[in-house]
This record gives sequence, structure tokens and C-alpha cells, in this order.
Amino acid sequence: MFDRSTPPKPKSKIDFNLPEIEKFNAGNNTIYYSRKAKLPIVQLNIIIEVGSRLDPVDKKGLALLTSLLIDEGAGKYDSFELNDEFEKLGTVLSINANHDTFSLSMLSLSENFEKSFALLTEILNNPNLKADDFEREKKKLKSKIIQQKKEPSYIANTAFDKIVFDGTYYAYPEIGYLETLENITIEDVKEYYQKYIQNNSLYLTVVGNVSKDNIVKLVTRSFSGRQKLNNEQFIEPTLTQKTKIYIADKKDAPQTELRIGHIGNKRNEATYYSIKLMNTILGGEFSSRINLNLREKKGFTYGAGSLYGYYKYTGFFEVHTAVNAGNTGESISEIIKEINGIREKIEEDEINFAKSYHTKKFPSLFETYTQIAKNITPLIIHKLETNYYQDYIEKINSVKNEETLNAAKQNLHPNNLVIVAVGDRNKIYEQIKGLGAEIFIIDETGKVLETN
Amino acid sequence: MPGNIFDINYSKHFLENGLEIILFQDRTVPTVSVNIWYKVGSANEVPGKTGFSHLFEHMMFQGSKHVPKEGHFKFIEEAGGSLNGSTSFDRTNYYETVPANYLELALWLESDRMGFLLDALNQEKLDNQKEVVMNERRQRYENQPYGQAWELIFSNLFSPHHPYSWPTIGWMKDIENFNLEDVKDFFKKYYKPSNATLAVGGNFDQEEALYLIANYFGEIPGGNKLELPFSEPVSLNKTKKIVHPDNIELPRIYLAWHSDKIFGDDDASLDILADVLSSAKSSRLQKSLVFDKQIAQDVSAFQFSARLAGAFIIVATAKPGITINELKEEIFRQIDRLIKNGITLEELNRAKNSIKSHYVYSLQKINNIVDQINLYNYHLGEPNSFEYDLERYSNVTSSQVQQTATKYLSAEYVELHIVPKEGGLNV
Repeated sequence: MFDRSTPPKPKSKIDFNLPEIEKFNAGNNTIYYSRKAKLPIVQLNIIIEVGSRLDPVDKKGLALLTSLLIDEGAGKYDSFELNDEFEKLGTVLSINANHDTFSLSMLSLSENFEKSFALLTEILNNPNLKADDFEREKKKLKSKIIQQKKEPSYIANTAFDKIVFDGTYYAYPEIGYLETLENITIEDVKEYYQKYIQNNSLYLTVVGNVSKDNIVKLVTRSFSGRQKLNNEQFIEPTLTQKTKIYIADKKDAPQTELRIGHIGNKRNEATYYSIKLMNTILGGEFSSRINLNLREKKGFTYGAGSLYGYYKYTGFFEVHTAVNAGNTGESISEIIKEINGIREKIEEDEINFAKSYHTKKFPSLFETYTQIAKNITPLIIHKLETNYYQDYIEKINSVKNEETLNAAKQNLHPNNLVIVAVGDRNKIYEQIKGLGAEIFIIDETGKVLETN
Repeated sequence: MPGNIFDINYSKHFLENGLEIILFQDRTVPTVSVNIWYKVGSANEVPGKTGFSHLFEHMMFQGSKHVPKEGHFKFIEEAGGSLNGSTSFDRTNYYETVPANYLELALWLESDRMGFLLDALNQEKLDNQKEVVMNERRQRYENQPYGQAWELIFSNLFSPHHPYSWPTIGWMKDIENFNLEDVKDFFKKYYKPSNATLAVGGNFDQEEALYLIANYFGEIPGGNKLELPFSEPVSLNKTKKIVHPDNIELPRIYLAWHSDKIFGDDDASLDILADVLSSAKSSRLQKSLVFDKQIAQDVSAFQFSARLAGAFIIVATAKPGITINELKEEIFRQIDRLIKNGITLEELNRAKNSIKSHYVYSLQKINNIVDQINLYNYHLGEPNSFEYDLERYSNVTSSQVQQTATKYLSAEYVELHIVPKEGGLNV
């Protein structure tokens, strides 16, 4: 009979060859390329280094609105025809603008790649940007803002960003506000397009069954003559003076959406890996401290976790969960306890677990063409080397135990937390008051209405 | 390109205790995916005990005789794997994708909870997971805009004793009332090798895998074959209208018709109908409601199909200032037009191309392939049905889509309005 009493050990090491990633230029455009031939498909991502952070203060939402309008007809095709062409090819195209990038992502069958690429070229070089399409898309965004006013997780995220990134462009939602959308005209979209998209150099990532020569040929034909623009916008992260709690009242809500955290430093290779390991132990995975406590021990939530994330010019730390209304106060104090706790002690077992997780998971991050292409994005945004992934495992393994603890001590600030709670004020106020921090009542955008 | 990607090479085996095994080797991936389907889902429940299959799924992650509480997640995460489980009307599945050298770990974990779950069961674990599941219900349904739509549709489309009339998460009061005896009975009845199919896909050695499976699962006692839930064919005598006030801003209409079950004669044709109605910008409903008339914020149509029955559903959200009845009128105008005039060849081909390419894209993940193998095996008895599945779509004709629309969308239906309630977010 088999011995079931201990977990079986792994067999000998697995063979894993990191997909080869090449980087080369076509004019001022940069191309990352990885040839894969198993399936007859091609993933193409295009990144332009502009985004919502360049929206004027009174016209927030401009980049996103431009991203919605840019494929509403291009070249000889109107909006419907263009979309039909993609549908006929079975090509999936999505266009997005976030704080740091304007991006296009296209998944197609290899046999339809060139035709799809030609359509994409029209979108980037020759969009119609018509007034009636503009009015319709703008109306759609405004309705979406109205709709999102009732989404607890959306309110929590938006309010958290507004407060944590106060004074920087990361404080504004990419979608903008009703009043700022109102200020945007079709002329603004055209200007944004001409200034930032039409002639700006591209970062292209191509993964799949297509040759390098073909890519160079296509990119050269479509996108030569583009210029590298410089849009650097450095910011200095500042922490809130002391921990403050912000309540958005949602009558009759059975749960409270919580976001707890603060601003952080921008990504830095010297601290990136120790912070990653530390966060994995604190809240990055199911088996992390915060989830095991709030879910598996207390049963307050369906799930809880933490993230140490990076925009281009800043970082942030955030704990996120939705908890039973009646346990809101205790959930917050347990989370703070965990943040304090990880600054005091981390067991060697925990560090080994986190290292094992990240190093052994590594091959599976390159399973789909879409994943491989997505892995290139941080290389572009954070200016990392093309061979960045070559020694990734080594970089994780070489973090020393005390560096993980130092990562917590230096990058988590339990006395400078922003705590956002979206829930039923009547049910949660007294519980929250007991925590002793200053309390503010906010609206669904994060704007302070009253100080209590 | 290596051969036909839709024709997979697999082998099927049975252990003496009745466990069905499907092996699919792909030496090009660095991982292996273990995927078990138990033939039990919420359709096996009875009124008053709804949601138990799903709660039980949670209990399967609470440790077993040789695996401590929290161990299942911890061991798999430590190995760099990913894992989860899910419960539907018809089945419960559990899966882990791990680096290829960790196959044995996954088999050890799955076999321990199939064979030795009750040894580690206690009241504390059950109470904890009841709280977790009640919070899951709050988070995903009750505190979510439009979150209760699905259960309102199904509890009205099906009569109260039909196995699809309650949600898989269950009713809150039922979740509260479950006790340890329920867990034990359920486990003994449904969680035995003879009621499960174990599919393994990815990079492994076939002989070695069979040897390990035989050892880990072989000693678990089998049992009799269980009958799957049964239901008489369903229909609505008259259209039902439900108005549900929710904490939302924009009203939404749901229209739901009885349709064909999964892999039924009209199932593929219904998928194409849904595509023609709402997937592209120029699709019938998108074009008229969202683009031309601009009365809807969004609209979608889809065919939901399961083992016993299916439903065809159309959902549209009103723009500010637009009434639900305006949406309804336009939706039916478009349906009537389609029933009367049919669809164009171009619409048909666009839908087919789009369905086919999405199908190819989904084959990128080994876990998707293995789950699909289990799905085909469960419903069709043949794991290698990828090609068959795609052909269902290529064989559909435009007149068939018209007939399908006529047959199903002319019948009585459930009409659900989710409307803003007073109060709500008072900020």
C-alpha cells in the first residue's frame, strides 16, 4: 500500500525553455518578437507611451474616449464595416487607455494576420473620428459613470485612488467625471490623436506563427516616419500624515468593500523581488496571511488579498476585500494587525514558500501567446532589459531572508494608511469609530462630504 | 503545424472501483493538468437543501485525513501550480495545473479527498465555510448590481421542483441550515470513484501516470452507478413578468425563453442566432438599440445550455431616461423581422468564423483542453469531440437559424425588469 502520510516529492527537474524574445527596431518603432508555431495564431500588442495621465485636468476621460472612438470607422470603412471586417476574419481586437499607456491588443488566426494588420494600420493611421460617433461614445461613457455609482467595488477603487494619489494624475479615474466628459469636444479628441498617436513611435509585441521578415516588412510599410516623443512626468510620492478612514454610505449593503493601503515608491529592481516575496506572504495568494486569517479562520469574507503594484511613476500598496457588514470593524483591525505583524517577523518557512511559488510557477506564465506578449509590457513601461526573464528565478532565489523583512519595514506604513469602506453607514459607523482614527464621509467619487 | 489540432489522441481506462480515467498527452508543455468531474451538481439537490453541492465543493478544500486544513492550496501553490473547483447544475469539477514533475502531488491530494475526506471533517470547518459561502453569496449576488437576475430568471422559467429552478449558490436560509450529517451523507452518496472521471492532460509518462493513479485511487471503495437527475420536458403556459427593485441606476430588461439542451439538435443553431443578434456592432440588436436608436447602454443575447434544458436569454440596459418598454418593443421588432425574413449568408458566415477562431484561441491552455475533454466525455461519451463540436456549427444553414428563432422565440417567456429602488447610495 502507498504511504499517504506525507506529500510525494517532485520527480527530477522539468525541462523548460523560456520562449526566445528578440528586440529590434523598424524606424523609430520597437519590436519584441517571439516565434511560436504550435497553434496557427498570432498575438499582437501595440503600446504607445501616452495615457490618461496626459488628460488635461478639466478634460479627464479624454484618452479613454479617444480609445473608444479610434476604431469607429477608419479609411474606407465606417464603424460597422470595420467591425464586420474583423468579425469575418475571426480576429479579436481590443483597444484601451489607462494611466500610462494607450494600447491595442489583437489576436488572430495566422492565415488572417496580414489582413487584420492592414485593418489595424487604418485604425492607427487613418481613423474617421466622426462627430456623430463621438457623441454616441461620449454618451455611452457618461451612462457608464452613472451606472458605476452603484458598484461597491468600483466606488472603493475610485475613492482609494483619489485619496492615495491625491495631487498626482493617478488620482483621477481613467473614465473621467460627468463634468469633465462634458467639456470634451471632437476637436479635443482629434488634437489628442494628432499630438500623441498619429506620429508617435510604437512598441509592438508579436508572438506566434509569423516570420520576423514579414513583421519588419509590415511595420515598416505601415508605421515608418513616426517619431519618439518624450512625455516624462515624474512625481514624488507623499504619504498621508496619519491613518484616516473614509466611509462611502451604501444603504442596506450586506457587505462592506474595503481598500486599505498607501502610495509607494516606483518600481526599482533593487527592491522589486524582496517586496514581491513579502507581499506574497502577506496577501498575494490564497495561502497568504491575510486570506487565511479573514477567510479561513474568521469566515468574514469570500476572499481577501494584498497587492504591491506599480504604475510607471509611482507604486502603491493595497489590501482589498469585501466583508460581512457586522464584521467590518474587526476586519479592519485584523488587517492592520497583519500589516504590523509582517514588519515584526517573517518565518523562514514562509519565505521558502513564497520563493518556491514564484520560481516553480514561472514556466506556466508563458503558456499562452497572449500571456507571453503580456509579459513584455513591464519591459516597455519600466524600461527593463530584453533578457529580463533569463535570470528571473535567480533574482527571486537570491533575496536574503532579512531583505524580505526589511521590505516590509521600509515599504509598509501602518500609521499612514488610507482606509476606504463602502458600506451601510448605520451598520458600520460605530464599529469603525472604535478603531480610533479620524473618520470622513465621502461620496462615490471619493470626495469628502463631512468630517466626523 | 503539427497535424489536425482538433483531433486529439487520448486513452481511456477504468479502475475496478469504477473510476473512469482519460489521459491526453502533450509533451510540448511544461505542465500537467489534473481535472476531476464528479457527476453531481445543484440539479441533484432538493428544495430546502439548495446550494449544498457548492458548499460541499468548499469542504473539499478543507483538508482530508492526510492533508491538513489549508494544505490543499498550500501544497499546490508551493509547487507553483494553480487550482480551483466549480459547481454547476450538472457537475462539480476540481482541477490543478502543476509543473510536470508534480503530477504525483496532485494525484495524492485528489485521491485523499476522494477517499478520506470524512476522517478530517469537523463542525468548526463546516461553520467556517458556511460563513465563507454566505459571504460569497453576498459579494457575488446580493451586493452586486443586477446580481440576483440569474436566480430570478431560473426560478420563474422552471417550476419549483425542476432541478434547475434554484441557483447553484443556493438560497441563504438553506446554506445557514446545513449540518455535519448533510456533509457525510452527500459524500457517501456522490463522492466515490464510480461517480467520477479523472482526466489528466499535458506532459507526463502514460504508464507511470496509470501506475500512480491505480495506486492512489485503486483502494478507494467503489459503488453502484447512480442515476443522473431527470426532468420532464419543460414549457411555459404563459408569459411571466417580474419586476425587481435593486440598488442600481439604469433599468435592465431580461427576456428568457426555454430553448434546447446542450448538444441538442438546435443548440449550435441557437448559438449562431445569439451571435447574429448581438455580437458584432452591426448585429441586429447592437445596431438598432445601441447605435441607431441609442436607447440601450448595452445589449447581449446568448444561449445557455445544460444537460436537462437550455434557455435563450436577451439582456439590455436602458440609457438614462429610456424606459424598459422602449427596449422591449425594439427587441421584439428585431426578433419579428428575423423570424419573418431570416438571416443573410454574410451574417451566418461571420458568426461561424467568429465561433471557430474563438475555439482555436481557447486551445492555448492545457487546463481548458482537459476540462473540455471532460465535458465532451460527460455529455457525449467521447472525449475526442473537438472536431464534431465545430462541425455542429459549420453545418448550420441560414434557414435553420430562421426556423430555430421561430420555434423558440415565438413561445411564452420570462420577462424580468430590474429597476432602481428608492434610496440606495445616499451620497
